[in-house]
Amino acid sequence: MSPSAHSLGRPGAPGDGPKGRMSLLERRYRSVLRLLPASYRAEREEEMVDAFMEMSGDVPDELSPRPRWGEIASVLALAVRSRLGGTGAPPHLFAWGETVRLVALLGLAHQAMGGLYTGVELLRTLVFGAEQSYAGAPGSFERLVAVVVSVSALCSTVAFVAIIRGHVRTAKVTAVVGAAPTLVYTLIPMILAGPVTDRPLSEPATLVFTVVPVLALLLGFHGDVAPRRRPWALALAPAAAGLAVLGGMWLLLALRLPDAGWLYLWLDLGTAIPVWAAGAVVVLTRPATPSWALAMSATGLLLLMVRLTGLGGLPDGPMWATACAQCALLWALAVPLAWAGARRLPSPAPQP
Amino acid sequence: MNMTEPMFLALTALVDEPRHGYGIVQEVDRLSEGRVQLKIGTLYGVLDRLAAAGLVALDREEARQGRLRRYYRLTDEGARALQEEAARMAATAEAATARLRARTAGGAA
Repeated sequence: MSPSAHSLGRPGAPGDGPKGRMSLLERRYRSVLRLLPASYRAEREEEMVDAFMEMSGDVPDELSPRPRWGEIASVLALAVRSRLGGTGAPPHLFAWGETVRLVALLGLAHQAMGGLYTGVELLRTLVFGAEQSYAGAPGSFERLVAVVVSVSALCSTVAFVAIIRGHVRTAKVTAVVGAAPTLVYTLIPMILAGPVTDRPLSEPATLVFTVVPVLALLLGFHGDVAPRRRPWALALAPAAAGLAVLGGMWLLLALRLPDAGWLYLWLDLGTAIPVWAAGAVVVLTRPATPSWALAMSATGLLLLMVRLTGLGGLPDGPMWATACAQCALLWALAVPLAWAGARRLPSPAPQP
Repeated sequence: MNMTEPMFLALTALVDEPRHGYGIVQEVDRLSEGRVQLKIGTLYGVLDRLAAAGLVALDREEARQGRLRRYYRLTDEGARALQEEAARMAATAEAATARLRARTAGGAA
């Protein structure tokens, strides 16, 4: 919510248009305004209704009038900006806004890590001819698809660097491009194959895991949020982690350890789990903001969702046990984080 | 602050007199010759940002047909910001006009 709605002061005589004589259009517009936070409506509802009704003129109820979609969309956009508060917003709305923005940053950091090693693997295939199965034969359609997918994945890395360096628009565009292959891979089979229930649960889980940070980026970094330029070290950290994961994978492959399948569960998504757990412990043991606790909880639950839905495809033994241990770790920390975040959230200002 | 076109037009609409919500919508429509038609949600988003930056302020409140009507006025800071933005836009337009004139003259020669 904008601070200005508060700074303008309470209305001296709020209109109490007799609800009995309220037109159908007004009632419907007031229903739309319920999208806005209560504190915002307390300040603005009456004058917004006045402006809308003056613009709409007298429309008889018999015509069953409704607010136009454009008006509804404008209120929805205002509601998103108000609920995910930016600089100067009331503390509880700012906390929710920061939570969503942190979910975007944490989720994009993971996507940036994956994007980098996907790009490096492709480069290795193209330049050194390694892993033909990864990118198909030269000149084939599979090769074209692999290049497009890898370049899209690299866009997630660009998106993370862009948002950390304060380039919001670039970050939004590249994040959407980065998520596009996952959307195509998961949504098209779901649509073609009929009911979602016929597909493995890991597919919608992957879709949610990919889309949530991008949506958080699109919604959370709105016009009321001043772009912030963070250090380059932070911008490049996921790229370094991506290279480390890649190095770990090559090492495992080179060592050819027997029965080492469970070790692969600590790469990619598995790398994020211990890093996340370490961060969770820091947030729980230090006086962190509610936004950090809630965002860490949300991202932990996203990781948990992906691991849980993948359990069915794992063989019994060390791999299954490892995945179960990761799920237990995620659950054991995500729940206290949610509780701590909810407790630390500032209370909304009481409405008169 | 990055001044968007709706913000610029809303500030311009308040130069001559304080206006209420729908009054601003109408004036913006007139100023832009129908090109910019503010939705109510958009208008209040714009007013929020302008008020937060101290460029507009509440002038007065009236009760009309049982509903609240608020009038907003341009502040001195708002007038300065509008003047600076108008000067910037005029300079850009002048540069474009000069180049177009040169291009036309070059083509004629």
